[in-house]
Amino acid sequence: MDLPVLIANALALGAAYALVALGFVLVLNAVGAVNFAQGDLCVAGGFLAAALAQRAAPALGPWTGLALLPVVALALAALGWAIERLAVRPLAARPPVAAYIATIAVGLMLEHALAGLFGAAPLGGPALLPPGPGGTPTLTTLGHALPRQSVAMAAVAGVLLLAVHLLLAHSWTGRRLRAAAQDPETARAVGIPAGHLAGLSFALAAALAGIAGLLLSHQYFVVAGEGAGLMVKAYIAATLGGWGRIGGAVIGALLIAAFETAVGAAASPPLAEALLYACVLVLLLVRPQGLLGEPYGRRA
Amino acid sequence: MVPARRFPLALAATALALIASAWTPPAVATTPLPPAPVPTVIDIAVIVPITGPLALEGMSQRNGAVLALEQAKAQGIPGVDLRWTVLDAGASPETATNAFAKGVGRSTIAVAASIFGPHMLAFLPLAAEAQVPLVTVSGTARITEMGIPWVFRFFPADPTAKLAQARYAAQALAAKRVALVSQSTAYGQSGRQALAAAFAGLGVAVAADIELALGLRDLSPIVAQALAAQPDALVLQLHAGPTALFVKQWAAAGRGGGPGRPGPVAGAVPIIAGSAMHQPATAALLEPAELAQVCAETGAAPAADASPAVAAFARDYRAAFAGEPDGFAVGQYDAVSMVVAAIRSGARTGPAVRDALARGRHAGAGATYRSDGRGNMAHDAVIVCYDGRSRTPTVTMRYENVAGVP
Repeated sequence: MDLPVLIANALALGAAYALVALGFVLVLNAVGAVNFAQGDLCVAGGFLAAALAQRAAPALGPWTGLALLPVVALALAALGWAIERLAVRPLAARPPVAAYIATIAVGLMLEHALAGLFGAAPLGGPALLPPGPGGTPTLTTLGHALPRQSVAMAAVAGVLLLAVHLLLAHSWTGRRLRAAAQDPETARAVGIPAGHLAGLSFALAAALAGIAGLLLSHQYFVVAGEGAGLMVKAYIAATLGGWGRIGGAVIGALLIAAFETAVGAAASPPLAEALLYACVLVLLLVRPQGLLGEPYGRRA
Repeated sequence: MVPARRFPLALAATALALIASAWTPPAVATTPLPPAPVPTVIDIAVIVPITGPLALEGMSQRNGAVLALEQAKAQGIPGVDLRWTVLDAGASPETATNAFAKGVGRSTIAVAASIFGPHMLAFLPLAAEAQVPLVTVSGTARITEMGIPWVFRFFPADPTAKLAQARYAAQALAAKRVALVSQSTAYGQSGRQALAAAFAGLGVAVAADIELALGLRDLSPIVAQALAAQPDALVLQLHAGPTALFVKQWAAAGRGGGPGRPGPVAGAVPIIAGSAMHQPATAALLEPAELAQVCAETGAAPAADASPAVAAFARDYRAAFAGEPDGFAVGQYDAVSMVVAAIRSGARTGPAVRDALARGRHAGAGATYRSDGRGNMAHDAVIVCYDGRSRTPTVTMRYENVAGVP
């Protein structure tokens, strides 16, 4: 297997992790609490995509994966909004630990509900791109045969990351979101509806997680109970990049995937995982604010 | 109140009733009837992982055990009230031991026990204390090597299954160099040791020996390492999800099957996977063409085996659970059926069932079972292979009495 294939796979996986981590940071900034259900929302998106694909594939054909993207995003956005309204907002006046516990509870309920609804077996989601001519699974780019689905995953995730960046940096809603994240009290004082923006953050975060779930479900399948692992990845990505820094979470996620792939190929995956956590420990010692630093200096 | 004009009639009726009740027939048979026998209550606990990473295998176990118990109940056992309870062993030994404590009582005479090695290792001392035999399909070699005579394994142990897997690679595929990919769990390590020993005995070089953790998604580094070793065959000892992931990524690397390329491909390297690959749920994750170069070992393959006993089991299983059975289901079905046969023969306590299992011989749906003296009951293995056109494999090779149990 040549190096460009490894890079393409690492980029695809890192981009999907980045969507999960980005949603994690959006919620962190909106309500000042870690959303421990973010990994399970990703799993929910994967299951929803796999279930819908089974029914819709005959009608949608080889483009089922792309066609289902907005459907999964909207469904998960509604779920994220509901979580904020029902489990997090009622605890707004309590210490942040109450919101942590609430999201842990929501995550566990989601995990068991998904296992009950979809069963214990892994499911495969829809492909994003149809196979190439003659059924080939690769896409020849710059003289290299790259896995089509990995290229598609990286492209879709890249477009979404850019869209979220534009939303946050250049839109009225994005400015209000950032203002509420930076100083919620002052934002409320000047009339910014911080509560509604928290709901919007949860919805956006869940939509991103759901899309990540769809992207991952074809190449890597989806199985109930793997949300905790995804959550840890998002947590480390946020820590690596700088707690609360959106760009940092994306960079952190890409670094995690690149590290796992490079060290995994050169040595072994268990060693790669152990070394990754060792590196995180070292980073916490020498640069606790993360690679890009903390934007507001309020670590949860 | 009775109206006055009807009083004489009522009086007469009452008198007749009193006379009738006082009359006794002539004494024909004076021997009193014996009291109806109270059936002996016998409980069997089914403690398997219904949630967690081994839930797929655990559900197969559960279904196999419950099918055997429902059939036994429907047929009836004279003098026995057969009952059972199903408990989730979950993912951790702590959950499993709690379930054991809850599910095993005075009337429990056997436990259909978890496929997960760490669960079984936790159950062994509890079973010895409670004096109930454990019947399982766990492949972890160690459970029958600890000298605790309360465990009976109805699936080929690693020394049997892995020897068949290695023989198929060495003898049927004439492999001289293999790449071995195993899970870094107790299951993976146990199988890896048995495979390494088997290949050493067969004179096959293990050109790459790669471990991977559960939860790893991108297996392209593993594929790259395996390819670099230039093996003649790939040998997997992975759980269900990682097996499907590996096969998919191996095919995507152009070294296995692949869309539009069913059947043997020039330069392709065949895969001989562990028993997880034979499960219909694992094959369902892959396109048929991706399975073109793939075989798997198992104790029995009910979805692929046309022999009458297996076919009858598969038919009943499909009718009961609307799904395809696998080797774990038939193994657990046979295990519980052998326990039921012991009860029919008069066993009413845990030690009596244990003795029957240890000394008896049982012609089950998947195999004929007998103990090797340590509780290993299954000694046959089969190799199933996929043809690249469907997700249903065919039995390619049968290995009977692999370990040479007398």
